[in-house]
Amino acid sequence: MIVKAVELTRIYRLGSSHITAVDKVNLQVDEANLVSIIGPSGSGKTTLLHLIGLNDTPTSGKILFNGDDTSFLSESERRKTRLQRMGFIFQTFNLLPTLTALENVELPMALAKFSQKEQMGKTVNLLETVGLAERLQHRPKQLSAGEMQRVAIARALANNPSLILADEPTGELDSKAGCEIINLLSELCKNQNIAVVLATHDERMAEVSDVTYRICDGVITLE
Amino acid sequence: MNIFFSGDIVVVAQGSIVVQAFPISGGNLPEDTIDEMKEIEGVRTAVPMLVFFGYKLEGVIQPVPANISIGIPPESWAILVGSTPLKPDGRWPSANSSAKEVVVGPSLADQYNLAVSSTIRIQNNDLMVVGILDTPSAILTRAIIIPLRVAQHVYLPTHPSWINMIVVEPEDESMEKEVAENIETNIGGVEALTADERNEIIAPLLSDIEMWNLGIRGMLFFLSMILVTTVAVMNISERRRDFATLGAIGAPRSFIFRLVITETTLIGLFGGLLGILVGTVATLLLASLYTNIPLTLFFQSPFDIVSPVFMAEVLTSTVVVSCAAGLVPAVNAMRANISEVLRSEY
Repeated sequence: MIVKAVELTRIYRLGSSHITAVDKVNLQVDEANLVSIIGPSGSGKTTLLHLIGLNDTPTSGKILFNGDDTSFLSESERRKTRLQRMGFIFQTFNLLPTLTALENVELPMALAKFSQKEQMGKTVNLLETVGLAERLQHRPKQLSAGEMQRVAIARALANNPSLILADEPTGELDSKAGCEIINLLSELCKNQNIAVVLATHDERMAEVSDVTYRICDGVITLE
Repeated sequence: MNIFFSGDIVVVAQGSIVVQAFPISGGNLPEDTIDEMKEIEGVRTAVPMLVFFGYKLEGVIQPVPANISIGIPPESWAILVGSTPLKPDGRWPSANSSAKEVVVGPSLADQYNLAVSSTIRIQNNDLMVVGILDTPSAILTRAIIIPLRVAQHVYLPTHPSWINMIVVEPEDESMEKEVAENIETNIGGVEALTADERNEIIAPLLSDIEMWNLGIRGMLFFLSMILVTTVAVMNISERRRDFATLGAIGAPRSFIFRLVITETTLIGLFGGLLGILVGTVATLLLASLYTNIPLTLFFQSPFDIVSPVFMAEVLTSTVVVSCAAGLVPAVNAMRANISEVLRSEY
């Protein structure tokens, strides 16, 4: 078991009103599993993903990562966990615009203090894995949406994570590029033994997922 | 402050305005005042001089003097120029008053391509350059040093026995004040100014300039601080998603803080370098505009106009300002709520 959410709840306070974005969610992600969380916009998918990714703290409940309770981690420990054991893929790719594809992928490794030589060798391999061997020196503006998402996937894989969290990874892509990204994530999941949690409203994901959850108004159900 | 005639008394006609030991305006004195002066107790020597500031250049009045002509007896050069040497092949004008020989400052020589044996024309008189001073002095570099008799003939042809200042050397430097009082008591219509008194004349002006300088510097410092902070805050807020992304992939807060501070400091460094370049060129342009000294002459020694120490001060202050101005945005970037920022970007 990589991640386990126990009675996870996130409530936002907006003035006098309360919004329950995630409501007593129980969820488990195992190794090499592709887990989809499918729901419409505003259903709480992204909030749940941020909670699992330790970017946000729950109002109540807890998250166990590799069996360890993350409730007591300090901010720097949470960041360290994200850096060394998780990878993130965003709907809008979130590549740093001033860096090349190579540098974007190198960044997490540089933060984790890999040597220059290690960084370079691994980055080239990762970009080859996602089919971008010819685009190393291109900046995000010079890449198509599909290519940007591939760079983002390579960046997520940089520090050999055990968990990848992908928030609407096909949301900005056309149908063909979307299918390619889904297949790529599915392959990575199986070939590299990485657990992938996808938040999406794309029903196609249910077909390739090992486990599918549906979320509506913050309440999750296992399909 | 007074680099000329330190320890000596400068005597001028009453009502004259004296700046840096030279009368920039005021009346003349009959040359025989010297004889009266020598009779006064405590006076060792008295050197007559005739000084004219040239505000006209090619018929146009200049806001600052284009040159200064100093008539002085040939045997007394040293009291004016001290040990300042002449450039090679030069010599001091002969005592012969009909020779019409002069020594000029290096800036004037460069500006008008003057060399030893060149001729300059002043008030319809041709004067031969026999020497060029080798000095960085702001006054001497623009000076035309002429034997007193020649200067009187050139500038006061109708009153060739007039002068407009006398430099008095007291027998005892510590008696400077008493000797000055004696002079004023015994000779009517003159002012005898000690070095301290000459300093006092210019002190309020320098104080005002210093105050304005300090005020303008302070204001610019404050404005640049606000400007750099505003630019940095805008820059960071435009890139909040990038910083949130860095946080999401695990970048430590200290890394984000250092990144922003480094960016703003580099902006300050390059901005400071650019500012120094533009400021120096603008200063030289203004100096050239107000003095009519060709710009090329200033560019030969720009560090005489804008000192390297001042440049270093400006660069240091811009770096410090930008570094300090980066603190607020750096803390904002570091403390950004990652999930909130990333959610709001969709």
